[in-house]
Amino acid sequence: MNVIVLAKYVPNPQGVPELGPDHLLVRSGVEGALDPGDEYGLEAGLRIIEAQGGEVVVVSMGPEEAMAAIQRALAMGAHGGILITDDVLRGADALVTARVLAATIRRRPFDLVIASVESTDGYTGTVPMTVAELLGVPSATFARKLDVAEGLVRIERQTEGGYDVLESPLPALVTVTTAVAEPRYPTLKGIMQAKQKPVERLTASDLGLSRDQLASSQGVVDVHDAPPKDRGEALEAGPEAVARIADLLAEARVI
Amino acid sequence: MARRLTDEIEAVALGPGATEAAPALGGHGARTVHASDDRQFEDHPGAPAAHVVARLLEEHRPNLVLFSTSYASRDVAGRLQALTGSTLMANASAVLGPDHARGEILGGTKIVEVELRGPDPKLVSVRPKAIAAEPSGGTATVAPVRVDLPDELRRLRVVERHQEEAAGPKLEGAKVVIAGGRGLQDPANFAMLDDLARAIGDAAVGASRAAVDAGWVPYSYQIGQTGKTVKPEVYIGVGISGALQHAVGMKQAKRIIAINKDPDAPIFGLADIGVVGDLFEVVPALTEEIRRRKGS
Amino acid sequence: MLVAALAVSVGVFARRTRLLAALVRMGRPVARTDHVATRVRNEAVIVLAQRKLFQRLAPGLMHAFIFWGFLVLFPTIVHAMGALIDPDFALPVIGGTRWFALVVDVFATLVAVGVGLAFFIRKLVRPKRFEGSHLREADFILLAILGIVATLLLWNADRIALGLNEAPAAWSPVANLLSGLFGRGSEATERALVWAHVLIILGFLTYIPHSKHLHIVTAAINVFFGKTGPRGRLEPLRIDLEAPEEEIRFGAATVSDLTWKEVVDLYSCTECGRCQDACPASFTGKALSPKLLIMDLRDHLFEEGPNVLSARAGGEDHESPPLVPTAVTDEVVWDCVTCGACVRECPVSIEHIDHIVDLRRNLVMAESRFPQEAGALLRNLESSSNPWGQPQAQRAAWADGLEVRVLEPGESAPEYLFWVGCAASFDDRARNGARALVRLLNSAGIDFAILGPRELCTGDPARRMGHEYLFQTLAEQNVETLDGAGVRKIVASCPHCFNTLANEYPDYGGRFEVVHHTELLARLVRDGRLAPPRVDGRSVTYHDPCYLGRHNGIYDEPRSLVPSSVEMPRHGERSFCCGAGGARMWMEERVGRQIADVRVEEAADTGADTLAVACPYCMIMLDDGTKSVGKDLDVKDVAQLMAESLE
Repeated sequence: MNVIVLAKYVPNPQGVPELGPDHLLVRSGVEGALDPGDEYGLEAGLRIIEAQGGEVVVVSMGPEEAMAAIQRALAMGAHGGILITDDVLRGADALVTARVLAATIRRRPFDLVIASVESTDGYTGTVPMTVAELLGVPSATFARKLDVAEGLVRIERQTEGGYDVLESPLPALVTVTTAVAEPRYPTLKGIMQAKQKPVERLTASDLGLSRDQLASSQGVVDVHDAPPKDRGEALEAGPEAVARIADLLAEARVI
Repeated sequence: MARRLTDEIEAVALGPGATEAAPALGGHGARTVHASDDRQFEDHPGAPAAHVVARLLEEHRPNLVLFSTSYASRDVAGRLQALTGSTLMANASAVLGPDHARGEILGGTKIVEVELRGPDPKLVSVRPKAIAAEPSGGTATVAPVRVDLPDELRRLRVVERHQEEAAGPKLEGAKVVIAGGRGLQDPANFAMLDDLARAIGDAAVGASRAAVDAGWVPYSYQIGQTGKTVKPEVYIGVGISGALQHAVGMKQAKRIIAINKDPDAPIFGLADIGVVGDLFEVVPALTEEIRRRKGS
Repeated sequence: MLVAALAVSVGVFARRTRLLAALVRMGRPVARTDHVATRVRNEAVIVLAQRKLFQRLAPGLMHAFIFWGFLVLFPTIVHAMGALIDPDFALPVIGGTRWFALVVDVFATLVAVGVGLAFFIRKLVRPKRFEGSHLREADFILLAILGIVATLLLWNADRIALGLNEAPAAWSPVANLLSGLFGRGSEATERALVWAHVLIILGFLTYIPHSKHLHIVTAAINVFFGKTGPRGRLEPLRIDLEAPEEEIRFGAATVSDLTWKEVVDLYSCTECGRCQDACPASFTGKALSPKLLIMDLRDHLFEEGPNVLSARAGGEDHESPPLVPTAVTDEVVWDCVTCGACVRECPVSIEHIDHIVDLRRNLVMAESRFPQEAGALLRNLESSSNPWGQPQAQRAAWADGLEVRVLEPGESAPEYLFWVGCAASFDDRARNGARALVRLLNSAGIDFAILGPRELCTGDPARRMGHEYLFQTLAEQNVETLDGAGVRKIVASCPHCFNTLANEYPDYGGRFEVVHHTELLARLVRDGRLAPPRVDGRSVTYHDPCYLGRHNGIYDEPRSLVPSSVEMPRHGERSFCCGAGGARMWMEERVGRQIADVRVEEAADTGADTLAVACPYCMIMLDDGTKSVGKDLDVKDVAQLMAESLE
């Protein structure tokens, strides 16, 4: 089985994110790591091929530093990595990112693509779906359980009142939640072996995408500070507090 | 919000219950509601809806498409990005013009002005908090949508649906996590939190280490440095002081609510809404209120 | 015939000894040849003077009698063997002298008394510490010892009856008394007794290296090569990721990974169980017993070690089974809080913590096998450089509103660098201790500063958990920061930080003068820069933190800051851990009682209303414990109590 895991290199989630003069998140030269959310997808992928044979290849688009994310994935057990890095891709929006990832994935045979539900720095959560559409494969999201058997992928998808079970023939793309599998901690041996594993480096031109396809259709033109948020509302117990909580739940689309 | 930009608003509703929803959509300003109650949209989530919408976009050529941030909308919007060649502006807080939107990033500390440069229609998903729904008092015409799906869009299918009453969703995946601590005073009072969880739906009950140590709930409930880490949309801490060991397990929740009778409890330093008072009053009242709102 | 018997027994003894020596040589190297003077002194105090054994009076006397007896009686073995050939054989110089006769008589009797005492303890008192020990083997050994001295005394008695005694009978009072049994004496019996004496000795000789009685040879060696520096220091294991994989040792995976000192440790265990008695994990019903840990490793060494040796002799590869779980279960390895109570009790200087940490190093670095919840600790240290995953940018937030200088890069170093530690930086309760300390330091006019966000975790939890590489990374970074800032003196408010900075960072190039805050405060009081502490309106009991007390010998200074405190039964060197050490702060106790709960009850039983601590981990654990057992004890750092008395 060929499993592809999409991984993102995110600036240190505990650090203070900075915006550069071009209003883009500074990713270069900042200590970052493999997006913790992606480790869950990677773990799910590793378990599948450990049970059924196959390989996991991790794919990431980012600056040169993103190699650290790939190395982490390799240390955990991925067999190989592909890094797409190119100045022209700096500031790529979700659609361009998806095009690049889809073009990369298309270069090799694949049965299953796994991604996390959303990245910890962006949380738009749309890239995986766009990739699926570009690849022309079925996709399912919010999998809390993921299995592959007889050419079908079977997931449990979290719903409001419980869960649904969905099935799709392979190849398919699935996004997973943190409930899917507890990620393994890489051994030092794994970290050392990671350096010997094959990593392919690609540029935008290797992918055969046109200029138009690489142009972002969105651009940030200005950034300013938001008015300081109250460090939380303090309320006395009572009907007003209850209403306020219910409002917040409604805003969060939870009720 | 769409109304502020133009009078020509059309809504799309796909799936069982679509035509039922039409009057409500009309009441908020939609002139036309393209609807189809076809089961297929429910049985094959994602791709069919996206392709039908894409076809409607081709036919009607709107300038702008607005989405909510529900999971279903996101799935459709994601696929539409590929189909229309226009990038989704996600989590916008305001749309200021046909190609100008505003959003918040970095945890709400910065506001970005975004230029939408792609081909029409522009795609924007709007954060629910941003806009209040204002009724316009209008009605809409319902335009039935022709559903003609090629097989390949139906490869993904729902095979089972499960309602989980008692067990509830796992802590890690739940949208809402309600955690109980020593302030509950008695293990029996966890039932109150179960009630609240059931009222909300996609909610799970957890606990602080103190409650687990006291034997009130099993270790699988424990949230904190030696327990689970949760990142729900909403975390509600009930009778929990919020010391560091617990905080590390929940501080990444998108919104934090705390209910505790001790005004000095550290958890109030993390909470977006902190309620100082008797949890035995607040929690049942909240459960009531949620049931009421959902019922209507 | 003597020659034949000697040959057999020496032959068997030698063969076994060859194996024992080979196993030691199989052990990995470790440097233990420094501080020779201290080592010699340890021999004198621990071995000759039996100091550790005298911590319990009756067993101490019992063992001392037997031990000293054996030392003194050694020449009689030669005499007996000589007398086998020639009944008139006398030892040169001492043979036949009166004082020697007296000494032999008295000490032989003492040995017999010792054996009697031993049986009394083992059969009538039956202390819990013997649970799991091989008691039958011990009985056999005791009987053999009794046999040796009994035959000696009886032989001397018969010789007196026969008139063969070299010194006047009165100088061997006990033998003289016994000589009545023999009437006019019997030559046949005299021969039989001396043969019996020698044969028992020879039999014993062959038995020793095959049993736990091996300790009579190895204990002295083990004590000599024990650690001489502060107990709290773990030996570094440098990890170079660039080196070829086969060259890197990740800890103890199989029996051939043990160091030679660890092998000698295993030889020296007498199964006395003092360690088991003192262990907080054992006490609260966990699987870990330090005694059983050592015994299990020893048994595995004797099972598997010879296989390794013979494979190597044949030039073959041999794959040994993993120590964990073959010899020792995972549970046992992780139960340990590294409090050092076991090491402190052990009369033969076994260093149990080294074994545990070596096992952990392999489990964590080579196999990623550890309690799942501890993974958060490692990830947080990796991503945020502190165990709670808190943003380092906020590391100085605890000092808001206080007069505290944050040392920026390029600024000149203060007299004291106050190393705050992760707990006091981020935990609300521990912060109070740091704030109180700051007030005291300011009022004494001390020039100090903190590193703020540049202070990373010292790495202690990573190291105790076995992740040497992560520890190394943090240590090297911290040393670079401290050296770059020109820091010379450090005051740490956390004993774990203190221990690592003072005792372990020198291995990474960091040499600083490090004091614990209680040491500094005590000094300031002595110098009159701070008012002598009073504790009004509180009755206090002081809890000795393991990493300050047992691991670093600091007991008096903190006590001086809480005058008129009442002691718990287990205090000072015998203090009972709070349960957070060994990185267990980040692990769950799933079996038995919570260690902290036990300690809190002990504190409450003193009648005190305040529990004084000198460690932020102790504060967190014990404060949680008061809530869990429902005791109304106020848990406060000594700095807080002192600051209180200032107001």
